[in-house]
Amino acid sequence: MIGQLRSELLKQRSTQTTLFLFLAMVGFVALAVTMHVIALSPARLSTNAHQLDVFQIGTRAAMIFAGLAGALAITAEIRFGTIRPTFLVEPRRSPVLAAKLAVGGLVGIFYGLLAEGLMAAAATIAFSLRGIPNELTGGDYTRILLGGAAAGALWGILGVGVGALVRNQVATLVGILAWMFLVESVSEGFVPGAAKLMPGGAGLSLAGNEHKLSLAVAAALLIAYAAAASAAGWLATLRRDVA
Amino acid sequence: MSPQTSTDTVKAEAGKHPLEASVVECRTLSKHYGDVVAVDRISFSLEPGTVTGFLGPNGAGKTTTLRLLLGLAQPTSGDALVFGRRYRELEHPLRQVGAVLESSDYHPSRSGRDHLRSLALAADLPPSRVEEVLELVELRNAAGRRVRTYSLGMRQRLGVAAALLGDPDLLVLDEPSNGLDPAGVRWLRTFLRGLAAKGRSVLVSSHLLAEVAQTVDQVLIIDHGRLLAQGSLNELTGTGQTLEDVYLELTEGEPA
Repeated sequence: MIGQLRSELLKQRSTQTTLFLFLAMVGFVALAVTMHVIALSPARLSTNAHQLDVFQIGTRAAMIFAGLAGALAITAEIRFGTIRPTFLVEPRRSPVLAAKLAVGGLVGIFYGLLAEGLMAAAATIAFSLRGIPNELTGGDYTRILLGGAAAGALWGILGVGVGALVRNQVATLVGILAWMFLVESVSEGFVPGAAKLMPGGAGLSLAGNEHKLSLAVAAALLIAYAAAASAAGWLATLRRDVA
Repeated sequence: MSPQTSTDTVKAEAGKHPLEASVVECRTLSKHYGDVVAVDRISFSLEPGTVTGFLGPNGAGKTTTLRLLLGLAQPTSGDALVFGRRYRELEHPLRQVGAVLESSDYHPSRSGRDHLRSLALAADLPPSRVEEVLELVELRNAAGRRVRTYSLGMRQRLGVAAALLGDPDLLVLDEPSNGLDPAGVRWLRTFLRGLAAKGRSVLVSSHLLAEVAQTVDQVLIIDHGRLLAQGSLNELTGTGQTLEDVYLELTEGEPA
């Protein structure tokens, strides 16, 4: 099992994928800061709730990129065929899936801390440059970082599970992006009561928006989503033939 | 092979001492994909120390048979055993069986060395073994480069290196000479003969008959999922026919 874990970590380090995802995330955060922190009028950035909403773009980035990284951990192997040698080494397949879920969680923590840290730093600096009083407390910052790391970890696991189930790389990545940018975004506008219960909505509450869901409910929901996706992906991996 | 002390049920069934189990054994092996019968009740067994050619036209069921043998796909019925067990039940699969399935099974932006290291880590093999197999297939100098820069021949040799990581007793290769230049083909032939001389067994699928005739001891001929002939090269070509004559007679006599 230790060997499988080290193998998965090496796979993460030994391609350019991690670098590309990282650069894309930096671009995403830069765009978000420009649109929401620099472009919004001071009146719309005056309260703690307003400012938290802006900071939460970091949580969105954390979840999206953790989900993509998790999905890539399995779908890249299927796309390039390395899943065959991987399963020849470990034909029981379960240890491979377990290692991928663990590494998906680890990589998710990495993206969570990075996205939240980048966004929080950029937003804090931008507020200060524009002379807008910072209404966030130290507790808010801690919650954003730790909650973002947890949301990233669970989304990384979710991504591995969905990728193992769907298998097709493009379909999986497009599916995750469409879910976040279409389904959840539209739901937030029209059915906020349902949106806050979705995987992205639960992640946002986990990293700060307590007025929507309590920490315990948000954590339980997101853990349930990650567990369900992992279980489905796991079963599919054990049962299906490798093409 | 590691010493076997357990009372293994599969082997007891076969009525053989563990060490005498066939290297490869298929028992009425079938695989259906919906209405398509890819492999149709194939039975054969291979003895240690032989190089066996697995011949048949494209789409005959060679690759499917090899995937069933290697646990990548589940048989619809029947059994495919290596060393008397299903592949999934082997304790150290890489130390017993090495396989080269497709020349493209690499992440293009990973180096050859990292590809091998990721497999060696998962199989609990030491990093020094990666350098040994790189040396063996003459890829040491290119090992640090990304696989996308490799020629087809280099990819094939990297595949062979991966298969040799565990120093296995059986090597399974699917169409290994596809895309190899003459020097590569000769290298592969010499290499496979060398393995057999050391008592290792080789199962190699191909449709390049002239090449096969120079490399193998015995052949299995398959078409439309069915095993049409099995025997040593001498037995099959005993009547003065070439392997090509025998092969075409068998495979063209089949209704499409």
